[in-house]
Amino acid sequence: MAEMEVKGGGGKKGPGVKKSKKLSTRVDLTPMVDLGFLLITFFMFTTTLSSPTAMKLIMPDETAKPEEQNEAAKSGAFTIILGKGDQCYYYEGDDPKTMQVTNVKGIRDKIIDKKSRTPADKLVVIIKPDVDATYADAVALLDEMTINDVKKYAMVAVRPDEYTLVQATEAANGIK
Amino acid sequence: MPRVKIPRKSTTVDMTAMCDVAFLLLTFFMLATKFKPEDVVKVAPPSSVSSDDVPDKNALQVLFDKEGKVFFTYSNGDELSGFVDVVSQQQNLGLNDVEKKRLIKILNGGGGIGVPFGELKQVLDLDADSYKAFKQPGIPAADSANNQLRTWIACLLASNGGKQPDNVLVKGDNGAKYPAFKEVLRAFTDNKVFHFKLVTAMADAPPGSALWDERHKK
Repeated sequence: MAEMEVKGGGGKKGPGVKKSKKLSTRVDLTPMVDLGFLLITFFMFTTTLSSPTAMKLIMPDETAKPEEQNEAAKSGAFTIILGKGDQCYYYEGDDPKTMQVTNVKGIRDKIIDKKSRTPADKLVVIIKPDVDATYADAVALLDEMTINDVKKYAMVAVRPDEYTLVQATEAANGIK
Repeated sequence: MPRVKIPRKSTTVDMTAMCDVAFLLLTFFMLATKFKPEDVVKVAPPSSVSSDDVPDKNALQVLFDKEGKVFFTYSNGDELSGFVDVVSQQQNLGLNDVEKKRLIKILNGGGGIGVPFGELKQVLDLDADSYKAFKQPGIPAADSANNQLRTWIACLLASNGGKQPDNVLVKGDNGAKYPAFKEVLRAFTDNKVFHFKLVTAMADAPPGSALWDERHKK
């Protein structure tokens, strides 16, 4: 930024009076500002403002107390099987034949619906991701438990008969 | 005729204010920046509504990427030599002191290591640049008969005298398949470690849900 010397309008001095040169007290700030913005740009790009969060997960001990595992009351059980392509297959009670389809986004309404019809101490949501499910869907489902304030839930392996049923449904619906 | 005199104005702009703002922003970003060790692989975690911070001290972290490659990292703030000795001994790796030091450095650095035990000695012999360029194949964990992640954890517990690590972090990629996650969990549950913390990106509770009501309760 070129600075223009602006002549001060001082009155004319007589001949023989030496003009003392006035030195400007201004410092050229341009390089400093340049550097400042360069650093700002650098830090802006390197900053990650959203820090990751930790989601608690406690897995059951599969070897201990096998008799307690089937404790889920039939009336309060709500099983969700995760399949390919973000699809959820859910059924109430213990009959997989009554299975219905929705997707990960739609499962919330079903959980809320089930929750409203079941006494709070009876409700158990069982999440069963099958081998085609994604990690993201499993986390999304665990997250739904927090979102909908489901107190009892478990993530367990899918049963073979359920898996065949899911595969048949997937084939019928053309989900790859 | 009178001439209109146009006063000559200075073209200099006062930059002090701009400078002030620039440096204020600079200070903000400098303080807000947290330099983290870069992971060996790029992992974009899924989002969740949980709001707990990820502990970075005394944490064991297992990383898995899109293809299900598994990486292991652990730091407890002090010496890891006990742990490294156990790993070397149990697996008959015969690591020398230099290699052990390197392994400790890699584990403490937080980047993660992902090589089968068979290749570990060779990989530790690489110099820094070749190590960076080396594409790590991941710890074999998909096969439950040869789940080496389980061995890593078993060695860790053995070197700690059976004491559970304070924080077990599992960081998986959005695109990873569920079986990869299941095998990672299995490696831990087989060692009687049941408490996990999944590393996720932050998301807001959806409006109208039970959690939203809870959080916005006055």
